[in-house]
Amino acid sequence: MANYLAQFQAIKNTSDRLVVAVEDVSDLWPSVKEGLEKRLPLKKASLNNKTRNPVYVENLQAEFILTTDSRLRSRFPQEQYLFWFREPYATIVLVSCEDLDEFKTILKPRLKLIVQNEEREWFIVFVSKAHPNNDQATKNAKKVYARLEVDFNTRKRERCCKLDLNGVDASFWEDFDFKIVESIRNTLDRRAQFYEEEIRKMSEQRLMPVWNFCNFFILKESLAFMFEMAHLHEDSLREYDELELCYIETVSTPGKQRDFGGLEHGDDQAALLKPGFKPLSQIVQDDSFREFEFRQYLFARQVKLLFRLGRPLEVVMRGYSFIISFSKTLALHENTLPFCLREVWVISACLAIISSTSSTYDGLAAPDNEKEFYRLHGDLYSLCRIKFMRLAYLIGYGVEIEKSPVNSASLSMLPWPKPSIWPAVPEDASAKVLAKEKLILQANPRMKHFNIQRKQLPLEPSSLLREANRRRASLSVGNLSELIDYRQIDGSGIDGHQKFSPSTTNSMSRTYSGPNLESSLSLDRPMRISEVHVAAEHALENTVTDPDLLKSLSSLEEFEQKYMELTKGAADNYHHSWWKRHGVALDGEIAALCFKHGNYDLAAKSYEKVCALYAGEGWQDLLAEVLPNLAECQKILNDQAGYLSSCVRLLSLEDGLFLAKERQAFQLEVVRLAHSEMKHPVPLDVSSLITFSGNPGPPLQLCDGDPGTLPVTVWSGFPDDITLESLSLTLTNTLNTDEGVKTIKSSDAHILKPGRNVIKLDVPPQKPGSYVLGVLTGQIGNLRFRSHNFSKGGPQDNDDFMSYEKPTRPVLKVLKPRTLVDISAAVSSALLMNELQWLGLIVKPIDYSLKGSLLSIDTGPGLMIDESHTIDINEYAKTMEDKVHAHDSNTITENNTHPLEPKQLYIENGKIALPDWASDTSTTLWFPVHAIDDRMARAASADSPHRQNMVDGMRTIALKLEFGAFRNQIFERTIAVHFTDPFYVTTRVANKCNDGTLLLQATIHSQVKATLCLYDAWLDLQAGFVHVRKENGRPVSSFFPLVISPSSTAGILFSICIDNMAIADQNEVVQAESILNVMYGISGDRSNGAHSPTSLKLGSSDKLFFKVAIALQRPILDPCIAVGFVPFSSNCLRVGQLINMKWRVERLKDLEASPSSSCKDEVLYEVDANPEIWMIAGRTMGHALLSNARGSRTEITVTCMPLVSGHVRPPQLGLPAMDDANISCNPPGPHLVCVLPPTLSSSYCIPA
Amino acid sequence: MIACVAVVGHQNNPLYLQSFTGADDALKLHHIVHCSLDVIDERVNNPKRSVITLNESYLGLLYPTESYKVYGYLSNTKVKFLVVTTDLDVKDTDIRSFFRRFHAAYVDAVSNPFHVPGKKIISRIFAVRVSGIVKAFAPGTYG
Repeated sequence: MANYLAQFQAIKNTSDRLVVAVEDVSDLWPSVKEGLEKRLPLKKASLNNKTRNPVYVENLQAEFILTTDSRLRSRFPQEQYLFWFREPYATIVLVSCEDLDEFKTILKPRLKLIVQNEEREWFIVFVSKAHPNNDQATKNAKKVYARLEVDFNTRKRERCCKLDLNGVDASFWEDFDFKIVESIRNTLDRRAQFYEEEIRKMSEQRLMPVWNFCNFFILKESLAFMFEMAHLHEDSLREYDELELCYIETVSTPGKQRDFGGLEHGDDQAALLKPGFKPLSQIVQDDSFREFEFRQYLFARQVKLLFRLGRPLEVVMRGYSFIISFSKTLALHENTLPFCLREVWVISACLAIISSTSSTYDGLAAPDNEKEFYRLHGDLYSLCRIKFMRLAYLIGYGVEIEKSPVNSASLSMLPWPKPSIWPAVPEDASAKVLAKEKLILQANPRMKHFNIQRKQLPLEPSSLLREANRRRASLSVGNLSELIDYRQIDGSGIDGHQKFSPSTTNSMSRTYSGPNLESSLSLDRPMRISEVHVAAEHALENTVTDPDLLKSLSSLEEFEQKYMELTKGAADNYHHSWWKRHGVALDGEIAALCFKHGNYDLAAKSYEKVCALYAGEGWQDLLAEVLPNLAECQKILNDQAGYLSSCVRLLSLEDGLFLAKERQAFQLEVVRLAHSEMKHPVPLDVSSLITFSGNPGPPLQLCDGDPGTLPVTVWSGFPDDITLESLSLTLTNTLNTDEGVKTIKSSDAHILKPGRNVIKLDVPPQKPGSYVLGVLTGQIGNLRFRSHNFSKGGPQDNDDFMSYEKPTRPVLKVLKPRTLVDISAAVSSALLMNELQWLGLIVKPIDYSLKGSLLSIDTGPGLMIDESHTIDINEYAKTMEDKVHAHDSNTITENNTHPLEPKQLYIENGKIALPDWASDTSTTLWFPVHAIDDRMARAASADSPHRQNMVDGMRTIALKLEFGAFRNQIFERTIAVHFTDPFYVTTRVANKCNDGTLLLQATIHSQVKATLCLYDAWLDLQAGFVHVRKENGRPVSSFFPLVISPSSTAGILFSICIDNMAIADQNEVVQAESILNVMYGISGDRSNGAHSPTSLKLGSSDKLFFKVAIALQRPILDPCIAVGFVPFSSNCLRVGQLINMKWRVERLKDLEASPSSSCKDEVLYEVDANPEIWMIAGRTMGHALLSNARGSRTEITVTCMPLVSGHVRPPQLGLPAMDDANISCNPPGPHLVCVLPPTLSSSYCIPA
Repeated sequence: MIACVAVVGHQNNPLYLQSFTGADDALKLHHIVHCSLDVIDERVNNPKRSVITLNESYLGLLYPTESYKVYGYLSNTKVKFLVVTTDLDVKDTDIRSFFRRFHAAYVDAVSNPFHVPGKKIISRIFAVRVSGIVKAFAPGTYG
């Protein structure tokens, strides 16, 4: 059966669609051909797949072929059986007949003969040529068709349909399509069943010696091909998948040594998309196929089906894994394959898959699939790139390949090719060897920027030189020492060439310039590296057939161009996929090449991306590799901002990544730029380098309005000291963000040491709130830098991507405005008026130091400070303690006799500077004051006790305390102090004796909280009164001293009598008032109130003198006029009620007796009423008629209205023209009347 | 042979990376581990795609290349453990067991009260222990 392979291949190539046979019985084909072929491809066909499930196939391709056609006729039966898939899937029998007899006799037997073949799926199309107008013909045709149906239709299946040539019925075509599809489906099912049965039978023999894979393959592929023709691509693909599995199993059975293939010209180019690359008959190997070609063939078939199915993603997926697995297979057979065929094959395979799929992918798939698609493309590019680099390395371009982590990772772990014999140096290659030598020597060893010393990463898994020489067949063991010598020169591979000393170079060039070069390359001598390269290049030229690849390897420029193309391809695709890191890492490689070619702009952009990725995720080792390159680009591009920032980032990398010397170099660059003339001064973020924090511990607390000094810890990551021209920090109020940020500055130049520095910053008064540190800004030279980075107070934090999450701790708390100090008067009761008194002020700091504070005192009117005296100050708490003790021991002690820390202070211009010791404790300030009141105290009548008005004794002191660190805090208060006379006196006539002697009682009420002691008292009487027995007006002397306890009273009796003589001497200017003189002493505590005047020695018995005026009236002995208040007519008064007030005035004496009165017979009256209580209607003053005769009387009526209820004093009638002494009143004293509230008036009620 | 083991934090920041190649080429392993994070990210972000359900910590083979393999393991706290091996035929069970030991060592190391979470592991004991685990690792030694 294997012999049929060629034929099978040919058949497959020719037949690509299903065949429908047409049995043209009545020569109708030319007339119906057009109509029938219009139906193709079949719009919609319901077929069954391999598992007998219905599948709808659209646009099913098919072809009508007449049975008389040579394609169907000339086939041997065995061929038909083998290649059944190409046989017709349906047979259409075209008949036409208008005569029933003719049908019965001729046509029917013929048809029976045609349809008797059971294996055929057939149906009959009866074509009616009858014109619709021709009734007879139509009738006949109908008859014949009816007969046809009877004969050929079965109950299960209708096999006839009728086509009217004149006027086709639309339903016919539906019927026709249905019948074709039905036939195809049935045939397909039957054939699939047949093939499966055959395949099953054959599979059972798989482990037997008779097993032949080729036969199995033909059957399996026939089935697959049939499915493909029927557009059942899914089933077809499955067949190929099974075939592949079966093949791999067959190949991997041990024992049989098979040829692998891959040795023919052109095999280096992958045939992944070319199933017809080689005829199968050429790759037959015994009972199977050569693996190299056959697996590619199978894959190509699969890819073709996948493309048909519209699954480019799956193509790439399968492609990539196929390439990887096939590459492994190639590695197994590497010793038989041409040199580096594996690498070359992978390159071409990757490129083929990429080019075939990138155009087909429409991007309409789900985003996930799209990303996967791009990722696979990236993988393919990347794989291709690695293999390409490996080839380039072998032929000597390795010196130009960037020794980056990316390249090192891909190349240094990839084993060298393992040919059985390493290629030898071709003849006449001396020129090439020289050229390679030159290339190696001229290769510009890329110095790292900033003179960074770093061992370069390897690009080779092991030394190429050793590997190549080891694999040379002729190298004897004896040459090992020589080899080792070379290795020493060579160092670690290619990098060692940098270490060639000039002498070595000279000697070598001398060696190679000699004419007998060929002889020097004896077989025994190990190859030099340049020779290895030349040999590899030569071998590759034999392997590679792809002109593009050859060209790419032909020169360094071409190599770099291809390298760039592949790298960009990989990077771009990775960027579109999930694998961003892969893409960015490759961007770094692009950047390196751009940099090499002087395209610094592009290089910088790419490097920035790479750096951002590494920095963002904290891969500092990798960052340290790339960042210097970026910095160099920026330096060349004169991008000062970028360069500075890169330098700062370099400095902020972990300590171990760079040497101290290198770090110093970075710092020097920063400082150099900072002090250079920059066109545009750039802001610089040094968050990663300079970090700051508040001091550990509780935050600094300031009172509202106070300035302060905030210590801040600044961590410098610079390796050396660095001078900052200025430094400032912002404070952010955490409670109130509206205020924005406050900046506090330290204008001094600071030198930051590496590591921890503590810097003190002055804080101006801030608004209340809790403040956190915001941004640190400062200047280095012309450079403004800022840092946002907080450190926890520990060592500098390098993982800057984490640090923004740290909670910020308040460093400063400005408290809400509160009372910081309180000043109050120390006295609780009144002080003595007109005497020098100690006024105590308690200055009480409330958790706030009063250091350096200044108290200004401004006394109000009627009060003055005696500046000649010193001011006492003592501790308030002590005072209180002393007091308690004093009370305990029942001994009254003056506090300031035992001052613990007293100080004498002086007042200057009304200001007192408080001593330092008093800054934190409550103190009492005692200063002497003198309240002045010029008025003389007056005694009051005992009947109407008239208290001294409190306001009269009130004096005020305005205090202003300036305190705080800068006397910025001000406390102002006005204190009222009450002064009073030591006592007040009330008098009354205690008794009137018959002899005219009056006993005058003077009651002395103490007004102070101090013990008064009266030493003496005498009364200077006014005119008209004299002392009885003409004494000096003193009471009994043994009466004194009289002690009056605080708030108590004492009385003194004076005996006086009326001096009748005095009336006669009216004209003399006499004393109008009597004066009571009191000599007294006072003993009191100054903290309680009144006490001995300051000027006196404390505790001394010096006496004070006090005068009280007493008004004495001569008694009314014979009044001329009587005034009587007439009771009201009604019982009670009401508010708002008008009433008439009446007084009756009666003359008690004849007017002659009173010489002072005038001759008129009338009297002047005046009504005196409190306007708040009474409303008077009419005149309040006037003359009333009253005759001069004794007994004459008159009534004065005033209408008035009470305004308030209660017991009120009624209006009083006065007679201003009369002396009070001549008037007798009834009732004699003040009296009260009762006024009721007004009656309720319903008219004011508001209805509910 | 295990070329390198690494611990990567939940923000994809390296916490620990130890090379066992003997050569001074840790940087390329940094690169390999860093790039492998792409695969982990992809698996974690596209649970539909990933073959292995994320109920399991072990992520399996991340990175089949021709010359080395990267295996991954993801802890509940999104800490990633990676192993780069040049051994191309390693049993899954061996790797799983290796990761379990590695994870246990990590848990012990970060339980140290002086360790700052999210920072690099500088514990020498951890390094010694990991080296021990790596040395003990040979295909087939773990059940």
